[in-house]
Amino acid sequence: MKELLQQINKKVDSAELFRVKSKTIPVNFEVNRLKSIDISESEGKALRVINKGRIGFSSSTGSEGFDSMVEKAVATSEFGSEAAFDFPEKIKSTGKEKANIYDVKVVDKSIEEMIKIGEDIIERIKDFDRKLRGDVTILKNYSEVQYLNSRGGNFSYNKTAIAYSVMVQKIKNQDMLMVYSSLESGGDNLHAEELTSEIIENLKWGDKIVPLRNGKMPVIFIPKAALVLILPIISGLNGKMVLKKISPLTNQKNKKLWSDLITLYSNGIIDFALGSAPFDDEGIEMKRVPLVEKGEIKNFYYDLQTAGMAGVDSTGNGLRSGISSEPVPDISNLVMGEGKVSFTEMIKDIQEGIVIDQVLGLGQGNIISGAFSNNVQLGYKIEQGKIVGRVKDVMIAGNAIEELRNIVSLGNKSKWISGKYKFPHIYLKSLSVSTKV
Amino acid sequence: MREILEKALENKKNKTNYIEIRAEKKEVTNIHFQGKKLEEINCSQQIGGNVRTLVKGGWGFVSFNQFDDIEEKVKEAIEIASLIGKEESKLAMALPVVEIINQELDKDFRQISLREKKELMENYNNVIMKFNPQIQSSNVVYTDRFSTIYFANSEGSYIEQEKPFLSTHLTAIAREGDNIQMGSESIGTTKGFGIMERISTKAQRAASRAVNLLKAQPVEGGEYTVILDQILGGVFIHEAFGHLSEADFLYEDKRMRTLMKLGKKFGSPKLNVVDDGSIQDLLGSTKYDDEGVRTKKNYLIKDGILVGRLHSRETAAKMGEEPTGNARALNYCFKPIVRMTNTYIENGDVPFKDLLSGIKKGIYAKYCYGGMTTFEMFTFSAGEGFMIRDGEIAEPVKDVVLSGNLFTTLLNIEGIGNDLKMIESGGGCGKAGQNPLPVSFGSPHLRIKKVVVGGR
Repeated sequence: MKELLQQINKKVDSAELFRVKSKTIPVNFEVNRLKSIDISESEGKALRVINKGRIGFSSSTGSEGFDSMVEKAVATSEFGSEAAFDFPEKIKSTGKEKANIYDVKVVDKSIEEMIKIGEDIIERIKDFDRKLRGDVTILKNYSEVQYLNSRGGNFSYNKTAIAYSVMVQKIKNQDMLMVYSSLESGGDNLHAEELTSEIIENLKWGDKIVPLRNGKMPVIFIPKAALVLILPIISGLNGKMVLKKISPLTNQKNKKLWSDLITLYSNGIIDFALGSAPFDDEGIEMKRVPLVEKGEIKNFYYDLQTAGMAGVDSTGNGLRSGISSEPVPDISNLVMGEGKVSFTEMIKDIQEGIVIDQVLGLGQGNIISGAFSNNVQLGYKIEQGKIVGRVKDVMIAGNAIEELRNIVSLGNKSKWISGKYKFPHIYLKSLSVSTKV
Repeated sequence: MREILEKALENKKNKTNYIEIRAEKKEVTNIHFQGKKLEEINCSQQIGGNVRTLVKGGWGFVSFNQFDDIEEKVKEAIEIASLIGKEESKLAMALPVVEIINQELDKDFRQISLREKKELMENYNNVIMKFNPQIQSSNVVYTDRFSTIYFANSEGSYIEQEKPFLSTHLTAIAREGDNIQMGSESIGTTKGFGIMERISTKAQRAASRAVNLLKAQPVEGGEYTVILDQILGGVFIHEAFGHLSEADFLYEDKRMRTLMKLGKKFGSPKLNVVDDGSIQDLLGSTKYDDEGVRTKKNYLIKDGILVGRLHSRETAAKMGEEPTGNARALNYCFKPIVRMTNTYIENGDVPFKDLLSGIKKGIYAKYCYGGMTTFEMFTFSAGEGFMIRDGEIAEPVKDVVLSGNLFTTLLNIEGIGNDLKMIESGGGCGKAGQNPLPVSFGSPHLRIKKVVVGGR
């Protein structure tokens, strides 16, 4: 890589090369049977240059074609954005806090072991009810990241990930009950039992369909569904959205928007969380960034270019969504602070309301305004402090920024979602619910 | 490329029941304006491939970027497939084909300079930004991609297909205080750069819609009679019905097969639904699918009755039906799975104004932000909405998201218009992590009763 950079250094002001090599192995079960095994290997390089003060970018997979990458990066730099930053000269971990992101046990896990995990999950579900359909994926990933720039900055790290995901389906006449759950981690520390017991509990609650009325009512979002409320906030706290003045939170920094209960951190240094790494994808050390503390917005999150334009420092949130994408401000891991109330206590508190487990259409609609409107794909009705059955043909709608002012309490037991979000249960005093009359 | 693939396939036939190798070369250009600024401009080149093999009913799949040890990849694929295989392999017959397919373009975008592409997008961006002082920002995203796909299998097929793709997304963002609204238009095509030179009115429409939405009130939630425009009608048939006709979710599941039994009544006798990958030059069109099967016109619903579904070679064999040419892979990183191509509802006979008549309080929903399904339930969101009062289109409403149940909603279609339009948007379809796959969809205006609309 060093020689490649030297080669290009003569043509541009400065340059950066980012390389990812990755291997993913999913073992797939369909309709309770082992169906396929894949091995996906990929290798890609991205070149970002600053040429006459402007940014150019190109990428490539495979081992050939560096010359044409250089040519394209230089060509795009003619029109590219004016660089509001330069590549970091020194990339050093302060070493105070360093997250574990690599587990040799994941690398060493054999395909046979992965098959066994999947088989056990399916057995457990079939033990509960032989008529169920189970689709299961057990997946492991290993990747190597290397970064080098012409100003002397460089880093590299290896990272692992493992995931179990399960979809269980029950069909009765024309009713389909689908329960989905998954566990993800950077280390070999997952417990399939957590998954299966959650799914079985959901199947029990969902057995009976109960009617619901139209109108406003209390709602509990379980951690898996919390993104309905948090996704518009993540979008609104993005430094780029703020800079362009298209975030509804643009002028709200250091203002108290919500109750003391709400605390949100972007945190890239949590052991075995999937978004963790020593550095972001442009060499800035990852850290814990308070975004919202006690209901008050403390920070927006930034990459180098956006931070440069906004006249602030990068928060270490410059992430690439793939090898052919330039870094943009993005969340590494997002953690919402816990509350003090148990899920059971929340349910007990409600006379008539619903629990939201899964929604359909997450992120669809005018998300930048904070608005959401979702089909409740899996939800339960609460009557007199008890879950009485499943609701169907129900929609919830609101504006996340406003609804979060309505929090009664937060749960005392957070859960990791997709390996990078950690949310508690969220209990809202009232939310608009629409259904068939 | 042919030599490399065919050499790797040599002498492997006795070890597996079936083996195929796919390779892909592509060049991509992206240009992204946001607000007044050029946000991103970049180019990428990719080369990659995969091996897929079937051993005693079990599939092994290996994808890669390096071709120098392709023999090793083949060996690996056979090894992992052998870990699974416990039964008889079943694949529907497909005649071996040897063919090289080149694509004619209306202005080859590979010959257009980066400067010219950038200036064209800058023009559209200016159309949006200068539309009105309430326009706060924009997103103009241009992509072009030229792929060549090489396919060879152990049955003697060798197919080379060129697949060009271009898209432009035009989004306007209007703001008044804390009220932020968007209007979007997009276009996708396989036909060449010419089409991208003629979309200035789309940029205007996106901007005017964003500004108009600032004045719209949020829709009141509840159950309504709705009229869907051709875009939403197309998204509706894709989401609400199309996905359930993909046989890979049915073929090994007895209960699902009963639910989707051919001959079952799904709609009124006026309802006809088609998926057709063989139409010339639409986004979902291709001569051969990614298993080398010739695409064709497939009726899914005829006169309201379920008459067909979409197949790969495996699902067709296991259900005793014919392959339909619907096994598609997003790119070389993925294996082919059953996907739609160009899906539409055929014309009915009701003029638009007759669809409106008799609706006391309903919603006219237009344009689309996206849709999703979990087979039985579906949801999609409109880009623009109006109340219908006493048979007339009335005030605008925003945040219109519709939702329903497949089995009842198709039966609740009360009127099918006579103005079918195929929609080629820049987005695509997502399934099993393979997103966005180019597809097109279409419909005439539709009137549907008892649709649940979310609202505050």
